[in-house]
Amino acid sequence: MSPQLEQKFFELVGYMVTSARNLLDETPLYGPFRLVDAVSRLVGILEEEGISSPRLSSLRERIEAGKYSVADDPEGFRCFLEGLVQAVVEFLVAGRGW
Amino acid sequence: MEVWEAIRGRRSVRSFQDRPVERGLLERLVEAAIWAPSGGNAQTWHFVVVTDPEQLQRVKTVSPGMLGDPPAAIAVCQDMNEARRKGGELGAKFLAPVDAAMATQNILLAAHDLGLGTCVIASFHKGAVARILGLPEGVEPVLLVSVGWPARVPPPPPRKKDVISWERYGNEPST
Repeated sequence: MSPQLEQKFFELVGYMVTSARNLLDETPLYGPFRLVDAVSRLVGILEEEGISSPRLSSLRERIEAGKYSVADDPEGFRCFLEGLVQAVVEFLVAGRGW
Repeated sequence: MEVWEAIRGRRSVRSFQDRPVERGLLERLVEAAIWAPSGGNAQTWHFVVVTDPEQLQRVKTVSPGMLGDPPAAIAVCQDMNEARRKGGELGAKFLAPVDAAMATQNILLAAHDLGLGTCVIASFHKGAVARILGLPEGVEPVLLVSVGWPARVPPPPPRKKDVISWERYGNEPST
C-alpha cells in the first residue's frame, strides 16, 4: 500500500473511530448518518485509486444526494435510507455490477 | 449587507470551492467574534485559525461533523480556568459556552457578509482537537467553524414558527 493510500484509509478509520465515541453522546439519527457517510468516503477513496464500479458509484451518488436530509427532515432521511437498501437489493438480484 | 438579510440568508455550507481564504478575511472573522457580548465582560475566549492543509486534515480526522473539504477552520475555545476565576461555576459551566456560541454567531454572519460559507461543528472529540491544536491545560475547544467559499448553498430549511408566547407561556397576543 502506498503511503498516500494508507493516509486516506487512516483518516477514514480516524473518522469512524471518533464517530463511534461521539455517537455515545449524540442524537441517535447521527448513527446511520455516519455509517452511510463512511460508505461514501470509502467508495470515494476507491474511486480515487481507480477502483470503481457502476453500482458502487451509484450508491455513493445516492448517499451524497440524500444524506443531509438528516438535519431537517427525519422522515425524509428514513425514506432515503430505505431507498438506499432497495437500491442495494436491486443490484444484488441483478447480479454483479461490472 | 443589511443585518436582517445576513440573518435570513446565512446557511450551513458543507460544500466548498478548492480556493483558499485570505488571511485578512479570517482575521476579520475573529475581529467580529471578539465584538460579541461576553458575560461579565470576561472575554475568556481564544480562537485558533487553521489553514495548513495537513493540520486541517488532522482536525477533520477527529471531527466527524466537519463535512466537505473546507480550506479553513476556526476553533472557538474557552479558557475554563480563567472563566472559573472570573465567573465561578456559572462562568465555567454556563457563560463560557454561551459566550463561545455568541462569538461563533458573529463569525457566521460576518462570513456571510463577505460571501464566505460556514458550518458550525459540535461533533468532534474535544481532547483530540485540543491535543492537535496544542491547547494549554484548561483551554478547551467549544465549537469548530469550517470556513470557505461555497460550492453549493443549501436551500433554507423549514423553521418552526410556533415559538412565541405573550406575557405567559402559551398565551396569544392580546388584541
